[in-house]
Amino acid sequence: MDKFSLMVPNFIPSKEYVDPKHNNACIGCGVSLAVRHVGKAVEDLLSKATFERAAGDMFGVKTDAGFMRIKQGKSELIICLDDEPGASLNDVVSKKLADVAVAEGFEYVATASPSYPFDLFEKVQSALEVEGKSFIHILCPCPTAWQFSTEDAVKMGFRAVESLAFPLYEVASGYYNLTIKTLKPRALSEYISGQGRFEKVTEKQLASAAEKVEKAYAKLTEKIDGQMAYTFETTGPVY
Amino acid sequence: MEATAKVSKKVFTCSAVDSGNAKPFKPGNAVQSLPVWDKDRCIRCGICYLYCPHGAVLREDDGYFDVDKKVCSGCGVCHRECWFGVIGMAEEE
Repeated sequence: MDKFSLMVPNFIPSKEYVDPKHNNACIGCGVSLAVRHVGKAVEDLLSKATFERAAGDMFGVKTDAGFMRIKQGKSELIICLDDEPGASLNDVVSKKLADVAVAEGFEYVATASPSYPFDLFEKVQSALEVEGKSFIHILCPCPTAWQFSTEDAVKMGFRAVESLAFPLYEVASGYYNLTIKTLKPRALSEYISGQGRFEKVTEKQLASAAEKVEKAYAKLTEKIDGQMAYTFETTGPVY
Repeated sequence: MEATAKVSKKVFTCSAVDSGNAKPFKPGNAVQSLPVWDKDRCIRCGICYLYCPHGAVLREDDGYFDVDKKVCSGCGVCHRECWFGVIGMAEEE
């Protein structure tokens, strides 16, 4: 049989802007994967980017995520690399940063995940095109803090999106757009029970968390007004 | 009463984001096993290249993929994500 080539990397630049030999990230690091794809989108600007761990709060919301700032001319991009160190189940279920950023008057706000690299790549590119402030919230699975097997790092990102705990959407000049639409949502327990840090969570707590997820997703879908640039419908990879 | 999970309060320091941090891992030190490609069944799609957290998967001239042994940390993401199960993890000698 003749070999054929789909060659996924043809759709994104093959040049690496993160030097692999000086990358001291942990094994299976989601942050490292996210920064690698952000680097491909912003190219040379990555060397001028600043990293910081938010001490206390950001936009008045308590968080312990890492932040990355990129400036180019009039556009200013803030990327939140959220690896959730020491987060409770309540924090995992209710993510407020993107909502607050919309209220703060950011021109472009989006949520992204390194498990969907093309989606992440396009969002970072369109954020840099906007004149003014823009904010991208990236959920990075962290095997060290979440306590799961290192090989499941990308799978955990899929689970977070498919269980609707972290839906991927973008807000461009006030219009909401659901970029990844999950047709068959998973149960929240599939996402939570895979993590060692939530070993002691009871079924009652899980049920109330699942309710919160449903409410938050219903609120989000109300805001979406059908003016979609693109929507990728998925049932997710088969595991 | 609000239900909250009982998790340990220990906050992990992240070597990717925190500046001035000690280096907990160095890729190459903690490797237990390295990915091996079965070239007979590989369709050269590049999923392994796309999802490698450390950028350790390289594309060779013939279109197949190989690993940079000095960079790979042996996490196994490529082994897990390969659609056709082409990549196996072999223990280092």
